[in-house]
Amino acid sequence: MNRLQTKLKQLKTEEKKALVAYLVAGDPDIDSTLELMHLFVSSGVDIIEIGVPFTDPIAEGPIIQKAHDRSLKHNISLQNIIDLVKDFRQVDTSTPIVLMGYLNTFIAHINLINQSDAIGVDAVLVVDIPGELELSNYGITNPNIDTISLISPTTSDERIKQITKNSSGFIYYVNLRGVTGSSNLDIEEITSNLNKIRTHTNVPTLAGFGIKSYEDAKVLAKYADGVIVGSSIVEMIDAVKDTKDFSKIKEYLEGLSRAIN
Amino acid sequence: MSINDNFPDKNGFFGDYGGKFVPETLMYALDELETTYNKLKSSPEFIDEFYKDLSHFVGRPSPLYLAKRLSDQYGSGNIWLKREDLNHTGAHKINNTVGQILLAKHMGKKRIIAETGAGQHGVATATVAARLGLECHIYMGTEDVKRQSLNVYRIKLLGAHVHPVDSGSATLKDALNEALRDWVTNVEDTYYIIGSVTGPHPYPLIVRDFNSVVGQELITQSQALFNRNPDAIVACVGGGSNAMGAFYPFIEKEDVRLIGVEAGGIGLETGEHAAPLNDGTPGVLHGARSYLMQDEIGQVKDTKSVSAGLDYPGVGPEHSWLKDTGRAEYVAVNDNDALRAFHEVTKLEGIMPALETAHAFGYLPILMKQLGKESNVIVNVSGRGDKDINTVAQIDGIEL
Repeated sequence: MNRLQTKLKQLKTEEKKALVAYLVAGDPDIDSTLELMHLFVSSGVDIIEIGVPFTDPIAEGPIIQKAHDRSLKHNISLQNIIDLVKDFRQVDTSTPIVLMGYLNTFIAHINLINQSDAIGVDAVLVVDIPGELELSNYGITNPNIDTISLISPTTSDERIKQITKNSSGFIYYVNLRGVTGSSNLDIEEITSNLNKIRTHTNVPTLAGFGIKSYEDAKVLAKYADGVIVGSSIVEMIDAVKDTKDFSKIKEYLEGLSRAIN
Repeated sequence: MSINDNFPDKNGFFGDYGGKFVPETLMYALDELETTYNKLKSSPEFIDEFYKDLSHFVGRPSPLYLAKRLSDQYGSGNIWLKREDLNHTGAHKINNTVGQILLAKHMGKKRIIAETGAGQHGVATATVAARLGLECHIYMGTEDVKRQSLNVYRIKLLGAHVHPVDSGSATLKDALNEALRDWVTNVEDTYYIIGSVTGPHPYPLIVRDFNSVVGQELITQSQALFNRNPDAIVACVGGGSNAMGAFYPFIEKEDVRLIGVEAGGIGLETGEHAAPLNDGTPGVLHGARSYLMQDEIGQVKDTKSVSAGLDYPGVGPEHSWLKDTGRAEYVAVNDNDALRAFHEVTKLEGIMPALETAHAFGYLPILMKQLGKESNVIVNVSGRGDKDINTVAQIDGIEL
């Protein structure tokens, strides 16, 4: 069992919900990312999701797109991110790390990904690979790395069956039709879909996209095994990119952590 | 080498290229589109409706015209022009939009979106949407909005909304990103008319099929006008829809050279171009695996071309397959040679080609030297050049 599976199992035993927090590596710079990762953990974050920057992130709304652009100004590559995780692991050996990005950047670093057990990454989420396909078809064969798949409100029952078969770690339920940072959560639809997914799998199902307020997180945590928060955090990082005073982010994450449990 | 006429396979692959690399939310829409298309493409009523629109709305068939003075200029064989510039709205793009709007109608979609580079696809989409009274949104990079202002105004006159896209390089690829984001958000009531043989399956197949009317006409016209197959067909390649439409019906006629001309920009050797088949590597962008201009860490590179319609870092997956199998040849013509050809064809033939098309003409000096006096070469005149007047005038130092 890797760190991710261990953590999710532990939370389940303690009857707690998972808080997953997202940031883009290298936004505003790689040292700040390392600092923020530790701050995430000390603020109650259970799992860290690191966005791998890409020039053409088609699933991202404007907030995260701009973060990708800021990161790419420093030419942040997957190699830099693996180095970042190594640094993080010198202090923190237990917090699970998920890399989230687009297939083209993973393909460009396939050897690195296949060694990445040694460097402390626990799962990858490739946004633009349909969930019923196996990552091994694209060269990602590392058995120690979980494959996080997305299921969305438009996923058919037939596809849900296939996708849950190929998923490990957790299922990422996309709350809405839209890009990251959108709004308008339809709680009724979300709960109905989460229940449907549960009939097919025991893998924990976490909900992401469109979660901003403590109230959003609280409501969703009633039905999902955890929540994933991205754009709100990335927006806060951008707001303090010059002062690097991250205290408000800490406050926000602590609030989220309280809200879901 | 054997060419599999049945490509793409059921997963949308042409050999190693193509596929459906999209966020999960879009998978249902692609499945819905594929199911609809597979059902309709063999329906006699649908085919009849499509060909009627091509005749009476687009004005097909487009002529195959002997460019006498241009042929004399090179003195080796006949140069024939496939006059897609004479289509309604002035380019080949309308063949595809006329077909796809019928799919949208059959699927009951009320809202149409599209990306555009040179604006020709935007105009062609706004045109068919206007005809059916459907709400239409066109995404266009701010860079292209500037250099193709005439087409921007045409799109607006047709009642469509133009959304300038400022992200990334603010050109065609970014317009495509934004159109995909719109689609993810409004997937249930929206039909996305992709403008080239790019994007996730089934788009490369659908756009190819609708544009194949060009190649089908060429088979008949070649027989009628010079009683055999042409020696070569030359077409410019950005995403590759005009080339694919002309090439596809000839793929199994192996005596016909198929030549795709990419945008060489400042020059292939400078890296400042838009020629992924000449100087790119396979990668995944906009839902498909294909040749791509990218750096060693998998980031998509900015492109450079005088022609907005060719200014795209990717290319349709079927072209990548045709390149690898050797069935088609892909070359690059740089900005200067395309501009020279633009002036040459305008002056010698009284036909002003689009700057995209001018790249195909720009390859004639090399090609015609390889051919004998009895040869017949077809240049696919993918569009007319009115939209490029401002760009050409500016380059020539003339203020309009």
